[in-house]
Amino acid sequence: MSTLLEYTTGPEGGDERRALVNTRKLVWWIGIPGALLVLGVMAFAIFEPIQVLPRIRLAPGYLLTDQAGESFTSEDVRGDITLYTFRHNNCGDDCAGIDETMAEVLERLGEVDFGDTDVRFVTISFDPERDTPEALAKEAESLGADGDQWRLATGRAAHLKNVIGAGFKVWYEERDDGTFGVDPTLILVDGWGVIRGEYEYRTLTSDADKIIHHLDILAEEIRNASGAAGLAYEAAHIFLCYP
Amino acid sequence: MTRTTKFVLSALAGTVIVGLVAWFFVLPRFVPYVFHGQAIQSSQPAPSIELNSADGPIRLSDYEGDVVVLYFGYTFCPDVCPITLAKLDRALDIIGEGAEDVQVIMVSVDPERDTPEMLKEYVEHFNPTFLGVTGDTETIDRIATMYGVYYEAAEGSEATGYLVNHTATVMVIDRDGYLKLVLPFEGTAEEVAADINYFLR
Repeated sequence: MSTLLEYTTGPEGGDERRALVNTRKLVWWIGIPGALLVLGVMAFAIFEPIQVLPRIRLAPGYLLTDQAGESFTSEDVRGDITLYTFRHNNCGDDCAGIDETMAEVLERLGEVDFGDTDVRFVTISFDPERDTPEALAKEAESLGADGDQWRLATGRAAHLKNVIGAGFKVWYEERDDGTFGVDPTLILVDGWGVIRGEYEYRTLTSDADKIIHHLDILAEEIRNASGAAGLAYEAAHIFLCYP
Repeated sequence: MTRTTKFVLSALAGTVIVGLVAWFFVLPRFVPYVFHGQAIQSSQPAPSIELNSADGPIRLSDYEGDVVVLYFGYTFCPDVCPITLAKLDRALDIIGEGAEDVQVIMVSVDPERDTPEMLKEYVEHFNPTFLGVTGDTETIDRIATMYGVYYEAAEGSEATGYLVNHTATVMVIDRDGYLKLVLPFEGTAEEVAADINYFLR
């Protein structure tokens, strides 16, 4: 008993008790902020308060000719958000869904606050022999493509294979009877020329709804690209906070 | 000094110490690095490159383990290319020792005029470690397209002959061969050095 009393209340026991209390304090003051930091990171990763679109890969560079017969390049849309589609004038039913989606997205652009960023639509034809600038101009008129916000363009066959097939990774093929097979696809590219969205098939949500939602996410990221908000958006990329 | 005052003071001191340690040593490890260019998170390796230098054929995979800084230009280029190559040389100077693990490669967008020997002389004027490469027009078109680069011949003067308009961005490929970053022409040497340094860590 006396040993126990000496241990807990004696001069030496007092030092140990003080050391124990100090250690507890240290654990408290380091542990709590540390735990809060870990919880904060976990909450960010789980609840995803900020969503971003993935930076999938570089979009291809290109040199094409548009519906006005003018040279049209990937540099002409640098700095703009651009939505691409791939078709040809005689696409018919194969491209009907894509055309409708483009028209709907164009009509609903007002739902998104793009700030100072412009939005462009580019439709690339993979049938340069038939889709001359004059033919593209006619097609543009029927699609409602004004030649400024929405441009139709085509180029050399070999270059188109590099751009559409290898670069955008969209399958198309000329059949023996001269018709084309194509995998209807829309591709969203940011102002840096980085692919941020690929829409290869229809889901329960219409593609137009999904694209408008993604445009909203991208526009918000662009508006908040600098300062502390920029850090938060980079963190969202690290934690893969994708929609 | 009362016990409560002591407690409050020690708590404040503890918070300040923990805060300082976190600010200088812990947070930098968690706060994401914000690049001066655009980061890319591609799950696919960078498009392959097989071209010719004055010292023989080169492939991108030859430089696995190094950070590759890729630029598309040409030797008759009057302004953008010299400015970019001089900036990259300055960036390597800033990086210092780590620059040994960086390989700058300029791919010609003027394969009809630029020979491997001309490219070697041109790029080594900026830095003896720089590499200049070229190939046939079809290969150059494929590679440039895949790296988001456009180019086209444009009217020049009698002295320069035709000019070539081209994309002026710089691409950074990490040690594992993944394209990670696109740098704008406008960036400073310090910014370029900081971004390259990130991939050397």
